[in-house]
Order: sequence, then structure tokens, then C-alpha cells
Amino acid sequence: MTTVTLLVGGRETAIDARRDDDRLLVDPDGFARATGWTLRPEGLCRDEVCIPVRDVDAVAPGGRLDLHRVVAALRLPAAIDTDELVAALAEHASAAPPPPTTDAADFTLPTLSGEPFTFSAIGRKKKVLTTWASW
Amino acid sequence: MVSVALDEADAAREWVEVAAPTYPVVIDPDHVVAERYGILNIPTAIWIDEDDRIVRPPDITPADDMWRDFTGIDSSLHHDALRAWVRSGDAPMPAADVARLVPQVDANDVTARLERRLGAYLRRSGRNEAARRHLDRAVELAPLDWTVRRASMPMRDEDPFGAAFFEFMGEWQQAGSPGYEWGNAVTRRDA
Repeated sequence: MTTVTLLVGGRETAIDARRDDDRLLVDPDGFARATGWTLRPEGLCRDEVCIPVRDVDAVAPGGRLDLHRVVAALRLPAAIDTDELVAALAEHASAAPPPPTTDAADFTLPTLSGEPFTFSAIGRKKKVLTTWASW
Repeated sequence: MVSVALDEADAAREWVEVAAPTYPVVIDPDHVVAERYGILNIPTAIWIDEDDRIVRPPDITPADDMWRDFTGIDSSLHHDALRAWVRSGDAPMPAADVARLVPQVDANDVTARLERRLGAYLRRSGRNEAARRHLDRAVELAPLDWTVRRASMPMRDEDPFGAAFFEFMGEWQQAGSPGYEWGNAVTRRDA
């Protein structure tokens, strides 16, 4: 038994996994915790949406998910390093894209001192969001 | 006003300490804000109203005129438009334009950003060789996304203000400066 670290939208979740040659077989509960996608009889479901999983090898005997095959089934953009046991996954699957919106997305990120700051906590005010970097 | 550093904490620290801003600064090494707002370059500003609707989508917004000759953008135009919006609620563009101008990134671009994020994560934990593979892949997938290509330069042992930058700049201009090509027009219309 080992763990795979899943990076999703700034969150880092370590989930139980097993390496089987080039396959990464991950615990479905951990995958659900990290991504919101839950394995059900009708497929992988998040909120009101279920994506059927037609690839029979996506779910290994014993119920573990083959990470590469599951992200393919969801058309979930992903960067996976099987040797380093880390994967970065998109927040939205191309199989279930969010409707286009001009609503501002919320986020919680740390300040330099490590304090979490949540954008929506500003409340009903006009807001200017600026981005910069040293590079 | 909230300022987001699309950067590693250690790289951002000295800038924040010198600037000592009175508004919140958050550190976003995973580029979460770039992912959620379709940000392709820095410095970018987004205006958001009291109902949490975007009234001005991401656009290159220099805070001063240090790079004016380079960008062709006069910062005072942004400042004046921002004051007008804050004081009298004058939206910088019709709502329909906002919907059209919110950048759409395709699955390939998203994958490039994820490869960069994975590379940066591995680099942070000292796994430099593996990091390099993912950063190289990211740049291969999205060679014209500044938050991928230029942001990766320090981690790919390139100087983001040196030869690698000018090479990238040339490629980007050759390709018609994709990204916020509408931005300057909006800025000039604000004037």
C-alpha cells in the first residue's frame, strides 16, 4: 500500500493507492474526496451529473480506480507522474463542462504569513483582483 | 483590492515586503486564480461588482508606465476608468462584451497548466529531474501562455528577463500576440 498525492485546484490530497506496472490503482473514496467524483453503479457522479464508465478496465477487481483510465473516461485534463506518485487534475471534466459564466470565482489562498484569505469574505463591494509575479 | 502572486512564496516575499501594501496579498504557486479566471499573463486586473459579476475581464493592466514603450498601454487610462467605475458605477463595457471576452482555455491549455503545476510541486519537494520533464511538457503544450512558459523559466534554469524571454517574446509576436489582443482596444476606448 502506498499513497498518491492528488493536486486539485490548489488542494493537496493524499489517497491510498497501489502501483501495478504502469497503472495507478487508487481508492475510490479518496478519489471522491479529492475530486468530488463518486463511483456509483451508473458511473462516476458529481452533483447532478453522472458519466457512464464504459471502459471495463477503469475499475479494477476489488473496486479500485485505474487513475489513467478514469480521467480518460471523464475527459478530465490531468498530468500524472506514476513514478513520483503525484497527479494534478483539472477542476472540471470536459465530459461535464461548467456553463459559461461571468460570475466571479471564489478562492481561498494563503497570505505570506500563511493565514488563509477567502475572496468572497470581502462581501458586497466593488473588487479589483490583480495578479503579478516575480518572473 | 486583492493582489494575487502567481508565484512561489519565497520569490514573492521580498517584493511584498518592499511594497508593504495596505490591501491583502495572497500567494498562488498552483495558479488557481489563473485556472479559475482564464488568466494568461501578468500583470492582469479583473473588476468585479457588488453582485460578484465580472464587469471587466482579465486584461493586461500595468500599475505604472515603466513598460509603456513596450506594452503601448498608458496606465492612467486604466486608473481613470477604474475611478469612474468606483465613483459612478460606469461599467467599462457592456455586459454582453464581458461574456464574450472572458478568456476560454481549451483542454490542451488546461493540461499544460496542470503539467506546470505538477512540475512546480515536484521542484518544491526537490525532485528536480522529474519536475523538469513536466515543465518541459507544459511549455511544449502551451508555448504561448505566459503563465506557463515564462513562469516556468526560473524553474527551467532560464532567465525570465534574458535571452529565453526575448526568444519567447519573438515567437509570441510572430503568432500575432495571442491572449489579450482585445485589451488595448478596450483601454483606448476607456479614454
